[in-house]
This record gives sequence, structure tokens and C-alpha cells, in this order.
Amino acid sequence: MAAEEEPVDLEETENDQGSKAKKSAKHDSGAADLEKVTDYVEEAEISSKNLDDAMKVVSDQQTRETKAKQEKEKELSKVKINKDDVDLIIQEMEIPRMKAERVLREHKGNVVDALTELVN
Amino acid sequence: MPTSNPLPPKENALFKRILKCYEQKQYKNGLKFAKQILSNPKFSEHGETLAMKGLTLNCLGRKEEAYDYVRRGLRNDLKSHVCWHVYGLLQRSDRKYEEAIKCYRNALKWDKDNLQILRDLSLLQVQMRDLEGYRDTRYQLLVLRPGQRASWIGYAMAYHLLKDYSMALRILEEFRKTQSQPKSHDYEHSELLLYQNMVMRDAGMNQEALQQLDHYDLQIVDRLSVSETTAEIQLELGRKMEASSIYRDLINRNPENWAYYRGYERSMALEDPDERLKFYKEISEQFPRATTPRRLPLTFTTGDTFRTEVDRFLQNALRKGVPPLFVVLRPLYTDLDKVKIIEDLALGYVDCLKDTGRFDKEGSGDAEPATALLWVYYYLAHHFDQKRQLQRAMEFVDLGLEHTPLLIELYVLKAKIYKHGGDVDEAVRLMDEAQSLDTADRYINSKCAKYMLRANLLQEACDMCSKFTREGVSAVESLNEMQCMWFQTESVAAYQRMNKFGDALKKCHEVDRHFTEIIEDQFDFHTYCMRKMTLRAYVSLLRLEDKLRSHNFYFKAAKMAIQIYLHLHDHPLADSEQDSNLDTENLSPAELKKMKRKQRKAQKKAEVEQQKQKAEMERREQNKNKAADSELDGPKEEELVPDKLARTEEPLEQAIKFLRPLQVLAAENVETHTQAYDIYSRKGKLLLMLQSIKRGFAACPTDPKLHTCLVHFHMFVKSQGDLPTPVRTVIGNEMSKIYDGKDPKTLNDDFLRQHSNSLEHILAGGSMMYKLDPKSQERAVSMVTNLSDKLQGRSIENVTSVYRSLCDGSFGECDKTIEEYQKQCHDLFPHAHAFALPACNTKTSAEGVVLTNGSLS
Repeated sequence: MAAEEEPVDLEETENDQGSKAKKSAKHDSGAADLEKVTDYVEEAEISSKNLDDAMKVVSDQQTRETKAKQEKEKELSKVKINKDDVDLIIQEMEIPRMKAERVLREHKGNVVDALTELVN
Repeated sequence: MPTSNPLPPKENALFKRILKCYEQKQYKNGLKFAKQILSNPKFSEHGETLAMKGLTLNCLGRKEEAYDYVRRGLRNDLKSHVCWHVYGLLQRSDRKYEEAIKCYRNALKWDKDNLQILRDLSLLQVQMRDLEGYRDTRYQLLVLRPGQRASWIGYAMAYHLLKDYSMALRILEEFRKTQSQPKSHDYEHSELLLYQNMVMRDAGMNQEALQQLDHYDLQIVDRLSVSETTAEIQLELGRKMEASSIYRDLINRNPENWAYYRGYERSMALEDPDERLKFYKEISEQFPRATTPRRLPLTFTTGDTFRTEVDRFLQNALRKGVPPLFVVLRPLYTDLDKVKIIEDLALGYVDCLKDTGRFDKEGSGDAEPATALLWVYYYLAHHFDQKRQLQRAMEFVDLGLEHTPLLIELYVLKAKIYKHGGDVDEAVRLMDEAQSLDTADRYINSKCAKYMLRANLLQEACDMCSKFTREGVSAVESLNEMQCMWFQTESVAAYQRMNKFGDALKKCHEVDRHFTEIIEDQFDFHTYCMRKMTLRAYVSLLRLEDKLRSHNFYFKAAKMAIQIYLHLHDHPLADSEQDSNLDTENLSPAELKKMKRKQRKAQKKAEVEQQKQKAEMERREQNKNKAADSELDGPKEEELVPDKLARTEEPLEQAIKFLRPLQVLAAENVETHTQAYDIYSRKGKLLLMLQSIKRGFAACPTDPKLHTCLVHFHMFVKSQGDLPTPVRTVIGNEMSKIYDGKDPKTLNDDFLRQHSNSLEHILAGGSMMYKLDPKSQERAVSMVTNLSDKLQGRSIENVTSVYRSLCDGSFGECDKTIEEYQKQCHDLFPHAHAFALPACNTKTSAEGVVLTNGSLS
């Protein structure tokens, strides 16, 4: 499995590389082959304007998502939770501490609500 | 290349050659070049070279050295992305994906735009289903290489998997716009369009999906997909005319596909049986050789129409001699009227064929072939076997054998009838006979092996299978390698019956490993499918892998593993105890001696066999190493040692490991939750017990096993002293929803009243009745030992479990009843070993007792 990857980025593979990769016609002969397949598209020109627009849409979305996620995390971290409650949840439900804390926070620290959700 | 220790040009050229050799799998040469660099004292500790040497060694199977070199390389050059990357690859080859991801991240710290590392990272992320991480990595790849097709597809795929369809579509559309006019028959472009369509449909955008198919119609080469998808969408949009005409075309294209008929009926809103029949008649005239248009009407017609149709169907098949005729018709057997009609017809055929040589009394037309009568016998035997009228089934098989003494199917069927009658030994004998009539038929061979396993004849089953497995390797090993899971699950059951728990567990773990293996096998497809643009298939593959362990084989293996672990928890093996079923007490010294001798002999034989195999293995191993492109199949897994497995310190934790996937993937199966209950009740985890019964209740509230859990839980909660307040509150709230305020006794009485006619339910209710009140023993016992023919589920299986419950003390002392009951059962099922009278066979009944897992402690 490990064999098909090259450890460093080979920007340009030599010409004979292609035929060799073909010879070892196993489907996992991998990265070099992939490079070759995609080369074909590089020729097809993607107009820079289109690209810019698309990239803008993409990066906007990415930032928005990160922000929303951060806010939720912040909200959650504000919730005060009781250590005994966390221990009880871990003890009863056999789940990792991280998860126990998270469930408890999501239920605003109410241990009964948290447990009720977990037994569902 | 940022490294703290750059090589001078000559050595650098050598280093590049190492890389190349690695890529081309010329590992020996790679090592030579590495040696050339390292033998120079100036570079003997050169980090990247050491790391590469390690990676190359890994490919040659020298794992320990590999880790030494790679770690040493890394220590010498902690700031090299090559070293980190190599370490990541090494970890990945050992399937330590989490660690590998960490290594890649470190590598990216030193070379954040390294495409190859980013690609490798993205592969691991999608394999581990870290979809958000995958999306972020794909984003970086897109930013670095916006001109590449794979960048766009991969990024869109990430959003698709995250179910953010609109974003996925936007990316795909942007990408599609950049494509110039495709050549004709451009398969990859066609697949891209169909993938786009798939995302639209996943997003519920039927209208858009329809327009897209229409718009790009000429560019899509997979015509069948276009038709099928269009028809489905039209149907969902309620455009019946359009949908029906496409389905009609599809039927013309393949008149045997049931789905097309269903689609057509739905689109035409055909409900009236006459109309439906008319439609099928039309198709049948058009395609006289097609079976489907003649078979499907049998499901919805009734009465005389059904009789006419099934008559035609049967005659046709019997004339031609279609062995699976019964299998085709078996789904109809839920309808008792239809069963009656079929029975009348088939019995009528027997008479007519004998009289006139034809299917009807008038005897018009050509005479039927002589085999027609034989196939009628064969069908009738199946028919009565299905109805569990085994005596009559047997009569017809024997008539068939008189007619054609060497027809293999008849022996197979006869074996099956004996199996249903509970006489596995005779079943094996007959199956072996069937097998001997055609030793080149692997189907019969496998069937025979399976029956042998049912009779606990493990060695015989192996020998049987070895006729078809690879030479030089034991059949068991070979079948494991080929992931032959029916063999393994049946072996588990056999070992379990023989109380060889270690061996049984070994097989369970082997099955579990097959599933892990199949999930691992996914890895290669992450690159392959992207490259080949088979995106629809790729997404289906990912979805399949996500719920792989919902497969029946896993369920079976996991269920038995859990049962065994529970048993081992309740009855741990003593130190000296041999993990076997030797019932030494009942044997005379002479017998014991004989048995021991036999055992020693068998052991010796096994050892010799093992040595032979080992030698064979070594030879193969060497060959493998010789082969230039030898590839290592992942890390060597820990060997499964039966005795160690059976003596585990933590049987319940092991059981939970098997349970977990079931809880996620087989949540609709009530058994999952009753098993979970059995585990957690032994751990005394109240809330997890509650969780199990809640989920079980949602899956099937009337399940007998669940009922026993419900009663047990109620009693268990009561017996608990002080509970933490939150726990008490949650239990109180949730219990009121399930129990409706009933106490266990009322619950049990109601249960018995509601299911007074089903043996399975009566057994569950009866045993709880005794448990709740030992004074009610007599009533409970008389209830469960009722064998009236009005009862539902009076099958061998259910009766056997009643018998076992009586034996294992679930109803207290009742030896006399047991004897009596056994006799009654024996009269009812004369062939069944389980009820054979003591004089004939003591062993089976003794086994029955040991076997039963007291499910509630």
C-alpha cells in the first residue's frame, strides 16, 4: 500500500515515466499517473475571471463557516458545568470525557436533560 | 527543498535516484544508492537519506529496521518535510492513520504548499471520514492548483459528502463552464454530468435535475442511466404520462426487470387487478419467453384468476423442468388460499400425468415429456416441506427417486427435509451422497460442508471443502483468506455447540477482521475513482463502506461472539479446564482411554499438518520476496489464539466491541438491543440498560426477549438502593413512558393475554411468571408445555427452547415434567435428535443444558 506514493513533489514527470506507470497497470499505481491524467485538463483554459469569481464564492463560504463554528464553540464554552455531573455521565454512560462535557454544555449544564438525550 | 542539511550536487543526484527507485519499486537498487551516500562519513547521519532507506526497507518487509532508520532520520533532521512525510507513509502502511495524519501535518509545517503531502493527507482524511478536514485540505489543493480537474472535483466532492449540496453544485457548475466542447463519446465528461445530476437529486432538486438531463442529453453516453433517472424523476414530479412511456420503453429493453414493472404500475396508477392483469398479458404476448410478466400477476390475482394464471405458470415450468420453480413461487406461501390452490393443482397433475400423460384430464394436445411427473414430485416435496408436513414431503421425494434414482436435486431436498425434521446426521449422510454423485459441483460441495458443520463435524467439513481450495494450505486457512464467511459463521455455531469457546471466538474475530479489511480496501479507490471519473460509483462505495457492518454476516458473528462472551463472563474457564466439550464424567475408564488416545492421535496429525503448512508458507514467503513487485498487505495482525481469547480478562468489554457497530447500523433490529441489555445488566449500568430497552421498545415492542428485559429491568431498579438523584429522575421519566404505570406482574399478565396464542411469547411470559412468583410454577410450566396444534410457532426451534428452559432451571425443579414433555415432543417430531429418548442418546440432551445461556442473571 505504501508503495505507490512518492515522498516528494515531482513537478514534472519524465516522459518515460508515463509508459512505465502504464506497464504496472495496477489501479493503485497512483500519484504519477494521476498527475498525467490531470495534465490534460491543465491545457483546457480556465478563464481567470471565472476562476476569480468562483474562488471568491468559495473562500467567502469558507470564512463564514469558520466564523459560525467559532461562535458556537464560544457559546458552548461559556456554559458552566459541574465536574460531578460530568463524572456521573462518564460513569453511567461509559463515554469519553470530551463527549460527556460537550453533551452537558449543549444542555446548558442540566444533567437530567443531558442524560435523557443520551439514553435515547 | 528546505532542509537543515543540504547535500552537495553529486550526493543530491544519488538521493534523487533513491526516490526514483522507490517509486519504481526497485527497492534493492534504492538501498544501494542509499549506501553510497551513507558510507561517506560526512553524510552518514543524513536525515532524509536515512528516512528514505527506512521507507525502502519497509517495502521489503523489514519492518523493525524500517522504523529504526526512519526515526533516526527524523531525529537528525526534524525540520525536513521529507522526513516527516516518510514517517507518515510508514505509519500509514501500518494503518495507524491518526498518527500518519499528525506526521503529514508536521510535514506541511515545513512545506505548507507541498502538493503530494496535501494529497496524501486528503486521502487519509476521507478514509477516516474527517470530512471537514478533507474539505479544508481540498480547498488548499484547489487554491494551489486551480487549473486541475481533480482539484475542482475533489473540492465539490467534499461538500457533497458534507451534504452542502448547493455549494457542491456551484463548484461543479463553475468547473463545467471551463470545459470546452467535449468530444463525442467522452465517457469521463458524461460521468461528470451524471454525477452533477446525482448531487441535484440528493439535494431534492428534481426539476433542475430533469432540465439538466434534457439539456446535456447528447453528451451523456450512459443511456440506461438517463432513462432510469428520468423515469424516476418524472414519477416523483407526478408526471405520469411521461414516466409511464419511459417505463414502457425500459420494459421493452429488458422485460425481466421487476423494478420497471413497478415503476410502470405506479405511473399508471394501476390498481384494479383486471387492468393490471391485462397489462401483463400484453407484455407477455409481446415477449412470450419472458418469465416476469407471467410471474408478477401471481402476487395480486386471487381466486379463479389466480388458479388459471398459476396453472399456466406451473405447467410451463414443469414441462421445461425448472429446478428453482419452488423458490420462484415461495413468496406466495404467505397466502394460505394460494397455497391450497397450488397444492390442488399439483396433486391433480400427478393423477393426470399418470393417467393420460398430460396435465389435464381431457388429454388434448401432445403428451408431456416423461420428466414432467418427476418435477411435479420434486415440487410437491418442496411444497410439503415448506408446510412442515415432512412425512408427505418425504413420500414425494421417494416417488421422485423411484422415477429417477440419480437426480442430485432429490438427494439435496431429502437432506433438507431431514434437517427440518431435526435429524442432522441423516441430513449429512444424504448430502454426502448427493455430493458423491457430482464431485465437481462446488455448490453441492459447499452445501455438504455446511450440513456437516451443522452436525458439528468440523474436520469432515474441512476435508470436504479442501476439494476446492488451494493445495498446500489447509482449507480453513484458505477459506479465511478468501473471506468465505458462511463457512466461518457456521463454524462458530458448531464450536459454540461443542463448548469450544476459544475456537468459536477466533472465528468471530476473523469475520470481524474481514470487515475491517474491506473498509481498508477502500483506500485505493480514493485516487482511482477521482482519476477515472467514476464519481457516482465512488460515492455509492463510500456510503456502502459507512454501513458495511450492517451486513448479515457481521450480525451473525457479532451475535454469537456476544453470547459466548456473556457465557464466559458467567462461567469463566477454570485454570486447569480444557476448553473443550469432554463430557468425561459419563464415560467408563476404557472409553476415556480410547478417547484420549484418539485425541492424542488427532493432535499429532494436526501438528504434522501444521508443520507442513508452515514449510509451505515459508516457501511462498520466499517466492513473494523474490518477486520484484512484492507488496505488503498491511501490517501483520496479532495472531488469534483460541485459548487466550477464551480466557480474556474482560469478556464484557470484548462483547461491547462487537455490539457497538450493531447499535449504530442494526438499530432497527430488536435483538441488538436485547443483547446490549444482557451486557449492561451484567455491568449493572442502569442508564445503559434503560437505553437498551428504550431502543428495543422502539424497534419492536412485542418482542418476547424484550419483554423479559422489561420485567427484569423493573425488578432490578426496585432492588437498587440509593441512586444519584439525576439518574433516578431520568429513569422515572423514561419508565413512565414505556411501562405506563404497570407493575411487573400486570405487565406480564397483559403480555400473556395479548399473545396467548404464540409459543415464543408464552415461553417468555411463562418464565417471567415463575420468576416473579415461584409459587406459580405449576401454572407457568403447564402453560409453556402446551403443545396444542392451535399454537402459532410450534416449530422444532421454539419447542427446543422451551425444553431447554425447563432443563436449565428457568422454571425450577420439574424433572418429571421434562421427561413427559420430551416424550410428547418426540412423538411430535420423531426425527429430531433434541428429543430423542434418553436410551438412544443422552449426549444431545446433556449438551442442550450446558449450552443454554441463562440470558438473565
